[in-house]
Amino acid sequence: MSSVDLHSVGLTYPNGTVGLDSVDLRIADGEFVALVGPSGSGKTTLLRTIAGFLAPTTGLIRIGDSVVADAVTNVPPERRQLGMVFQQHAVWPHWNVGRNIEYPLKLAKVPRAERQDRVAAVMKLVGLEGFAARNPTTLSGGQRQRVALARALVGDPQVLLLDEALSALDEPLRDALRLELQSLTRSIGLTVVHVTHDRDEALALADRVVVLDQGRIQQIASPPELVSHPASALVARFMADATLFEGTIKSAGFQASGHPCAVGYDVLDTRSGAGKAGTLAVLPEDVRLHADVDGAAVVTSSLFGRSGNDVIVNWAGVPVRCRVTGRRPLVGERMTVTIGRALFYPSGSLAVREPAPG
Amino acid sequence: MSSSSKLLHQGPVEIDRARRAARPSRGVRVDGVDAVRVALWCVVTAVILLPLGALLVLAFSQNRLPLLLTGDVAQAGLNSVVSASVSALFAVVIGTAIALLLDRSDLPGRRVLRLFALSPLLVPPFVGAIAWIGIIGPAAPVNALWTHWFGSPLWNIYGGDGVVFLLTVHSYPVAYIIIAAALRRVPSDLEQAARIGGASAGRAVRHITVPLLRPAFLSAFTLIAVSNLADFGIPAIIGLPERYVTLSTLVYRYIQSGTVADPLQVVATVGAILMLGAVVAMIVDVLAARSNWELDASASPTQLLQLGRWRVATTAITWGGLLALTVLPLLALVSQALLPAPGIPLTWQNLTLDNLKRATTSPSALAGAGNSVMLSVFAGVICTVLGLAIGTLVTRTRARSNGMLRAVAMLPQALPGLVIAVSWLIIAPRIGLFNTPWLILCAYVMAFIALVVQSVSAPLRSTPLAAEEAARASGASRLRALLDISWRMAIPAAIAGGTLVVLTAVRELTISVLLLAPGAQTLGVTIFNLQQAGSYNAASALSLVVTVLGLAGLGLTARQSRR
Repeated sequence: MSSVDLHSVGLTYPNGTVGLDSVDLRIADGEFVALVGPSGSGKTTLLRTIAGFLAPTTGLIRIGDSVVADAVTNVPPERRQLGMVFQQHAVWPHWNVGRNIEYPLKLAKVPRAERQDRVAAVMKLVGLEGFAARNPTTLSGGQRQRVALARALVGDPQVLLLDEALSALDEPLRDALRLELQSLTRSIGLTVVHVTHDRDEALALADRVVVLDQGRIQQIASPPELVSHPASALVARFMADATLFEGTIKSAGFQASGHPCAVGYDVLDTRSGAGKAGTLAVLPEDVRLHADVDGAAVVTSSLFGRSGNDVIVNWAGVPVRCRVTGRRPLVGERMTVTIGRALFYPSGSLAVREPAPG
Repeated sequence: MSSSSKLLHQGPVEIDRARRAARPSRGVRVDGVDAVRVALWCVVTAVILLPLGALLVLAFSQNRLPLLLTGDVAQAGLNSVVSASVSALFAVVIGTAIALLLDRSDLPGRRVLRLFALSPLLVPPFVGAIAWIGIIGPAAPVNALWTHWFGSPLWNIYGGDGVVFLLTVHSYPVAYIIIAAALRRVPSDLEQAARIGGASAGRAVRHITVPLLRPAFLSAFTLIAVSNLADFGIPAIIGLPERYVTLSTLVYRYIQSGTVADPLQVVATVGAILMLGAVVAMIVDVLAARSNWELDASASPTQLLQLGRWRVATTAITWGGLLALTVLPLLALVSQALLPAPGIPLTWQNLTLDNLKRATTSPSALAGAGNSVMLSVFAGVICTVLGLAIGTLVTRTRARSNGMLRAVAMLPQALPGLVIAVSWLIIAPRIGLFNTPWLILCAYVMAFIALVVQSVSAPLRSTPLAAEEAARASGASRLRALLDISWRMAIPAAIAGGTLVVLTAVRELTISVLLLAPGAQTLGVTIFNLQQAGSYNAASALSLVVTVLGLAGLGLTARQSRR
C-alpha cells in the first residue's frame, strides 16, 4: 500500500475547458478517500488523472515514493501498479472468471503455480470460491462487480481506484457490497480513492471526503465535520441540502434581502464580523416547523423518511428544506418557520456558485 | 402461414398488454393489422418466394450435376470460390486495420481519411475495373514506364489476381463499416481495465479488443464472400481477357450464346448451388450473432491508441495507400475520358472533350440512362412502400410469423444478384414479362427491398413499444396506432432507404445484363457493352459521368439524413 500525493495538479483540455484547477491532496497510506461533487465537477477527471489515463497539464503526482506525473513524465497506467473497478464492471466477456482475475498476474510474469494460489486466495476474499470456470455472462451484476474487484486486488495494487464502482447495482445489493467493501479494505489496509455521486455512500465509507466543484477542491474533511461545518454555502447545499438566503449582518443579526427570514446572533454561526453581505445556509435539521393557520409557509411536499420526514415548505417564495420528526405534515398545511442554527458565509471569502445542473 | 399465425397470436403467447386490455372477448377476430399482414405475405410470396421456388424446381427436376462436374463449370466454380474467399479475407484484414487506425488511434487526419476509405463503396465495381485498367492495364502508364525502365511490365491486372485485387478494393469498405460498428460497441472500460492490470496499449488491443471483434470478422467475411461470389462486372472485364472464367461470366455466356443444351436448366442448377451457399452463409452469420457477447454501454470516454514512434510511418502508409486506392482510379477515369484512344500520351494537345460529349449525347447512352433512371425510381418507390410496411409490421407488432416475414424479406440481400436474375428469367415466360424491362424492375424490387426493411427497422427497434401502447390507450385501433405512430416515425428512414435503392439500382450491372431485353438496356449494360466493343475511352467517359453523379447524389442524401 502507498500514499498518493497531488501537488497543484491542473488539467486543461485542448479546447480550453478546465478539468482540474490546482488540486492539492495528500492521501495517507491505508486511507479511504471519497471524491464527491456535482456532475462535471472533476471528480472522475481527478481519478483518471491518478490512474494515468489523463496527463495533468501542470503539477505533480506521486504514488508511494515515485513521481508518476509531472511536467515531463507521465507514467502510463499499466506501470503504475494500481487496481481499478469501473462502474460497468468491465469484466472481459471472452474469458472465464478465473482468466479474468489471473490476467494482471500473467502480464506481471508471475509463475503459474503462484498465480493459481493468488487467484484462489483473492476469490475467497471477495466470496467467489468455485466460480473460476464460470462464464461472466452467467453472473449477476453483483457477482460481476466482485470479479472486477478481485481482478483489481490480485496484483497487490499500491492504490485501489473505484470509479462509481457500486453505482450500477440495485439498492439492497449495493448496501451489502458497501459493507463488504469497508470490511475488506480495512482488513488489508488498502489505500482507496472512491468516486461517487452518492453523498450518503461517501459519508458512510470514507475516512475523509473531498468535495469538488468546477475542477477545484471546495473542502476536505471527515464526514462528521463536513456535515456540521461545511466550508462554503455551496458545500452546505450540495452535501446537506441546505437552504440559502442572500442578505446582510446587521446589529440584531442576519436579515435576508427581500425575504422575511431573520436570524439572531444567538443561533448564528459566523466567522467574521458584522456589516457584511453574504449567504446564510440553513441545514434541514436546523429548521423547526409549527402548524399555524396564520403561518407564512405552506407545505409543498412531505416525504416519509426513516430518520425523519423530508418536508419542503414554500416560505415567501423560497422553497425551504426541513427534516422534522414526529407528526408528518400534510401538503397544503400552513406553518411557521423557526431556525435553530444557521451558518453565515460572507461573500467574497469563498465564491458561491450555482451547482451545475443534474 | 398467415392463418396459423392468426390463430397463434390469440393464444397464451400473446403478451401485448394494450391489445389484451382492449379485447375482452377471446374469439377469433380479424382486424386491419391482420389484413395488412396477409397482404404483405402475398406480395413477398409473389416477388421473392415464387421466383426462388421456380429456380429450385427447375434445378432439381432433372439431375444436371454430372454436367456441373465437367471441366468448364467446375473450373468456373473453383475460380469463383477462390476469388470470393481470398478477396473477402483480404477485405476483412484491411477493414480491421483501417477501423483500428481511423476509429481508435491518434492518426492525423483520420476524419478525412474515413471519407476516402469509404469512397470505393460509391463506385460501381465494373466502373472500378475500367478505371484500374487505366492505371495498371498492359498499356497503362505504370506498366509503360516500368517497361521503359526495366524491360518488362510490372504487373498485368488482367487475370485471377487482378480479379481478387479489384474485388478486395470494392469490398473492404463494407468490412470496415461492419468492424467499425462492432468496435464502437466494445466498451472502452474493457481496454482500460487491461491497462490498469498492466497491459500496454497495444497489448490491450490485441488481448481484449480484437478477440471481441471475432463475430464481426466472421459476419463481414461471409457477407463479402457471398456478394463477391457472383459479381459480374469485375470478372467479366478483368478476368475474361485472360480466360479467367467465374460462375457469373459462365452463366452470362450460356444465356447469351446457348453453348450448352437447355441452358436455362444448367443455369438454374448453378443458381441453386449458389443459393445453397448463401443460405449456409446466412446460418453461419446467425450463429455468429448468437455467440456474440452482450456488451454493456461504456461509462468511460474512449481512450485513443497512441501510435507513438510509429506515428509518422503509419500515417504515411495509411494516407498513401488510401489515396492510391481511391483518388488514383478517379484520375485514371478522367485522363481516359479526355483522351481520344488508349495509348495516346497524356499531353495538353491530345486532350479532347469529344468522349464526354458523345457519352452524354449518344442515343444509346441516353436510352440507357433513361431506362436506368425509370427502373430505379420505380424500384425505389415500390421498395419504399413495401419496406416501410414490412419493417414497421415486423418490429412494432407481435406475431409468430414476424420472424419469418422479416427473414424472407431479407433473404435476397444474402443472395448473389446472379441467382435473383436467373430465377426471374425462369418465370418470365409464365408471367408474360419475357423480353420486357418490367422483368428487371421485378428483380430490382426483390433484390433491394431488404435495404429499406433494414433502414426502417433499425431506428424503430430502439423506440419503446410504449409509443403504440399510448396510442391504443388513447383509443386508436391496432391498425390506426400502426399507421399514426409507427409508420409516421419510420417514414424518414424509409425514404433514406428508398434513395439508397435508387442510387444502387441506377448503377447496377449484374442483374440487368442477364435480364437484358431489346430496348431495355440499362446504363450499366451500356458502359459494359462499350468496354467489350473496345471503346475504352467512351466507356471511361460514361463511367466518369455515372461516378460523379453517384457521388453527388450520395453526398446530398448523406447531408439530408444528417439534418
